[in-house]
Amino acid sequence: MILRGAWVTFRKELWSYCVSPISWAIAFLFYLWRGFELQELIRGYSYYRGDLDQFPTATYGQQSTAYMVLFVPALLTMRCFAEERRTGSIETLMTAPVTDAGVVFGKWCAAAAFYGLLWLPSVLVLHVLEYGPFLASDLAFGPVAAAYLGMFLLSSMLLAFGVFASSLTDNVLLSAVLAFLVSLGLLTLPQKIASQVGTLAQNYYVRELLEKLDVMRNFGEWFARGLIDTSQVMFYIGGILFFLFLTTVSLSSRRIA
Amino acid sequence: MIVVHELSKRFGATLAVDRLSFEVGRGEVVGFLGPNGAGKTTTIRVLTGFHPATSGTASVAGHDVVKASLQARQSLGYLPENVPIYPDLRVVEYLRYRAALKGVPAKERKLAVSRAMDKAGVEDVARKLVGHVSRGYRQRVGLADALVANPPILILDEPTSGLDPNQRRRIKQVVLDLAQEHTILFSSHILAEVQDVSSRIVVIHRGQLRADGPPEALVQQHTARRLVVAAAAAGATLSACVEGLAGIGEIEIDEGMGRATLKASVAAGEDPREAVGTRLLAAGVAALEVRLDLPTLEEFFYQLTEGSDRAEELALASEDHE
Repeated sequence: MILRGAWVTFRKELWSYCVSPISWAIAFLFYLWRGFELQELIRGYSYYRGDLDQFPTATYGQQSTAYMVLFVPALLTMRCFAEERRTGSIETLMTAPVTDAGVVFGKWCAAAAFYGLLWLPSVLVLHVLEYGPFLASDLAFGPVAAAYLGMFLLSSMLLAFGVFASSLTDNVLLSAVLAFLVSLGLLTLPQKIASQVGTLAQNYYVRELLEKLDVMRNFGEWFARGLIDTSQVMFYIGGILFFLFLTTVSLSSRRIA
Repeated sequence: MIVVHELSKRFGATLAVDRLSFEVGRGEVVGFLGPNGAGKTTTIRVLTGFHPATSGTASVAGHDVVKASLQARQSLGYLPENVPIYPDLRVVEYLRYRAALKGVPAKERKLAVSRAMDKAGVEDVARKLVGHVSRGYRQRVGLADALVANPPILILDEPTSGLDPNQRRRIKQVVLDLAQEHTILFSSHILAEVQDVSSRIVVIHRGQLRADGPPEALVQQHTARRLVVAAAAAGATLSACVEGLAGIGEIEIDEGMGRATLKASVAAGEDPREAVGTRLLAAGVAALEVRLDLPTLEEFFYQLTEGSDRAEELALASEDHE
């Protein structure tokens, strides 16, 4: 029943993302921004005759990437449960013979799949740039694949948190703000904390914890260089499962007397 | 098919349902009656697994709604009071989605959806977006949703609320048609509908069971009837002919134009008409009318709910006054 609920919810949610004006607005803004950035980048590389091996890496180290990682997961997931609670459709959803876990997993999968679809054209653009009038050179796609995997895992964890935030309220805006603040905190706070705790940062466990949580640094050290560290991958998968579990608990708490 | 035993549900300090017990047998259509805020929706939400009970048990088709929630939910079709909408789906898409969610096999889904649309009468809006159909149609789309997996039990929470008289009539007809094949628990605060549709009614007020049985029997058992006597005589003469008879309660006299009309409450089960006629004859009074007004379901309902509230309010007011 978990699988059935997840699959049916996944299909319905993915369809909703595809026909939602918000999704198109997100994609439009991203590709408009990305287009300008790419134009600047190509101009810069041809002017300074930069190392083209670095070009793919440079394409994702842009502001539009920060927009996609910081804002978009919160915007995509804000409606997941908050909208269902606001309209009351949560009642028909949760009284159908499906498990809470199935519904949660299906909603997250749909958000992650649509998020992946949003990124897909940016890879295709790189491939097109390899041809004639543009860069006319083979680009190194290995590091790109690792970087995209890292970004996708990080964003999927933020999407999982977004789904959780959405289950806590019937206010769509509040859900988005909460998800955005936590995303911002996760990306910026570990470094700030590490610099503020003084000698405590020398403690092995504290250091390890802060290092593991410092996703920006880990991203730069591993995924951005084309390296895939399984412990990093497990960290993100663990984070995803943790937030999905919390969402299920949040929904099920309604059924606990 | 539905068994509710000593069910209580508390929201903080408010006791919404208080040790409620009732049963609905196979093939029955039971009207679940009570004024707004009586605890009907809360009880229904416990039955559908949306809310947990604070204490007591409930089962649907033999499955406990907490311990075997999925099986219980599989056995019932539920129409909530306000049919929620997914505005971006067409009616037929919404019903296909709901059929899939309820485990209707892919091969049978098309047929199941068209059968449910036919029963609920929504084929003519099948291609419309759910967000664009009228309230009456939305209610019927909700009904089609409840029917799509062809469950043995239907729980309909105020299916006619907010509808115009024509729409209400259509929904009522649909429910009557469905009664041939399904066990139905039908909640409402509109008495006429319940009377027309249900073979039995369960009345709750302030979360407690107030009555349970066939509507006519309940009305006769629980509600005082009214004796009306009109004659070309003085009020005092009429009063003397009626006073002291078995079951006669409070008497009202209305006099004027050389005639008097007497109205008296009569205890359930009593019929004093013959005795009144005999006394009027003996007194030499020419009777214009002697009749016993049967109470309506509305009066019965008033006595069980508002009437009792009014009595309690009056008692409290007099205590305060003292």
